[in-house]
Amino acid sequence: MVLTQQKKIVILITLSLLLFSTLLAGGCAKPKTEQPESVTLLLDWTPNTNFSGIYSAIELGYYREEGLEVVLVQAPGSVIQMVGANRAEFGFSFQEEVTFARLAEIPVVSVAAVIQHNSSGFISLKERGIESPSDFEGKSYGGWGSPVEEATIRALMERQGADFGRVEMITTGEVDQLVAIEREADFAWIFYGWTGIEAELKGLDFNFIELRLEDPALNYYTPVLISNEALIDTNPELVRRFMRATAKGYIFAIENPEEAARILTEAVPELNADLVLASQLWLAARYQAEAETWGLQKLETWDNYGKWLLEHGLIEEMPELEKAFTNAFLD
Amino acid sequence: MAEIKKLNNIAPALILIVLVIGSWELISNFSDIPTYILPAPSAIVRALANNFGLLLYHSGYTFAAVLPGLGLAIIISPLLALLMDRFTFFNKALYPLLVISQAVPIFAVAPLILIWFGVGLLPKVLIVALVCFFPLTINLVDGFSQVDPEAIELMQTMRANRLLITRSVHLPSTLPYFFSGLKIAATYSVLGAIIGEWLAARAGLGIYMLRAMHSFRTVDLFAAIIVVVVLSLALFKLVELAGNLAMPWQRTDYEHPER
Repeated sequence: MVLTQQKKIVILITLSLLLFSTLLAGGCAKPKTEQPESVTLLLDWTPNTNFSGIYSAIELGYYREEGLEVVLVQAPGSVIQMVGANRAEFGFSFQEEVTFARLAEIPVVSVAAVIQHNSSGFISLKERGIESPSDFEGKSYGGWGSPVEEATIRALMERQGADFGRVEMITTGEVDQLVAIEREADFAWIFYGWTGIEAELKGLDFNFIELRLEDPALNYYTPVLISNEALIDTNPELVRRFMRATAKGYIFAIENPEEAARILTEAVPELNADLVLASQLWLAARYQAEAETWGLQKLETWDNYGKWLLEHGLIEEMPELEKAFTNAFLD
Repeated sequence: MAEIKKLNNIAPALILIVLVIGSWELISNFSDIPTYILPAPSAIVRALANNFGLLLYHSGYTFAAVLPGLGLAIIISPLLALLMDRFTFFNKALYPLLVISQAVPIFAVAPLILIWFGVGLLPKVLIVALVCFFPLTINLVDGFSQVDPEAIELMQTMRANRLLITRSVHLPSTLPYFFSGLKIAATYSVLGAIIGEWLAARAGLGIYMLRAMHSFRTVDLFAAIIVVVVLSLALFKLVELAGNLAMPWQRTDYEHPER
């Protein structure tokens, strides 16, 4: 009797030790690279063509040439806080988020506009007859339920004398927007370069209302690359090296969209290769557009959208825009 | 005899699964539901086969969080439960905190978790431990409170020392509680790791799912779900096996030595 219980104890202890040792092994198994300096770049979404320049720069060794090793971590919803707290050197964000963060005294700084113009807008099936914001009346919107969404739709409608009160706001969250506009809602807010291209590939018959054409103030930067004040102050050379390689990567993607699409698909095989290629071809001319170099940001763009947010009561004061972004790391 | 009995036990579940999958396949093939809304089971199996290597790669990352997290819970829970059993003060102090720890929505505190513990393996291990230690500890506390006081008295009158009492009274009567808690913990653990990966990760089944979802590949999403289910079942079975080894008297086919 006693013997069997000893056995039991032995089994239990062995089991615990086994699990404990895997814990230790897991904790110690971190790769140690001596030569290149490791920097972390946080992705705010699943890898997509907005990030192509980064994947190209990694694959083609541009970062290695600068003595850097870039670790990509997908961290939706935490990029601002992590970069602000200097737990990661760089991240993807967007102008509105940076504006809010600056006002909350989170010291993030936008160091490049990844795409020169806002390519987002409202998609709806053609059969629903939504051709301008005034047609939102009597229709339903499926989105994330954020105040900015409501304010944007309200402002666009009021410009045309339409009544926002007649729009039904539905929170659809992570639901695929192209599915949502067929069922729960009539229109949704998408990035044309990804979801719009997917709609084309799917052969949907749809209308698209591009935000920046409705109101120039809404032509804000999305996405932007961010870093933080501490890093910029203490180690500007690191930021410069990172940005030099990054710019080179985006210029490669602009000039060689097919090749950039192939690199992204190979690095992230979970993605749909057809979508990546079509999206890459669509984006190639839009990363830099008419700007002098890739990544350049204008004070005017930051100012316009900041004032728009202020006017519509989404912020109570303007952030110090000179501190919110910089072109200093673009050659 | 035993085999027939075993078959009888799993037959109902098997029949139901076959029926559900069969009608699902038929519906997918003979209706115009687009594959991005509901892919056919056969398409999911194909996706599973095509992406097997990739799924294996991501599963490795997920398991690197699951095993140490579960291990951590297995170490912490008995200590905590023992403390709570021996000292009423700890029981009163910790019990509400344990419940609170499960009520905190992890997504809401995601940025904090990442700032405190980084974006590496650690936060995922801790989240797995967090979801696993709760059922374990609660079950163990219950188990300790169910120990027969008369058995202890009997041992004491026979001048058994504390260790012997723990070994021959506490342990056998608590082990079933430990293993039923561990079964719940094991099934939660993979889910915990996936939640951790959704916060921030380089790779893992959670990342795979996000990517499939954002690439509009519903069929790959389902393939990942199957992998998660299979892994969770495997862990569950492993715990059951360990339970049978540690407590042979609990097995249905166990023949009691006295009989």
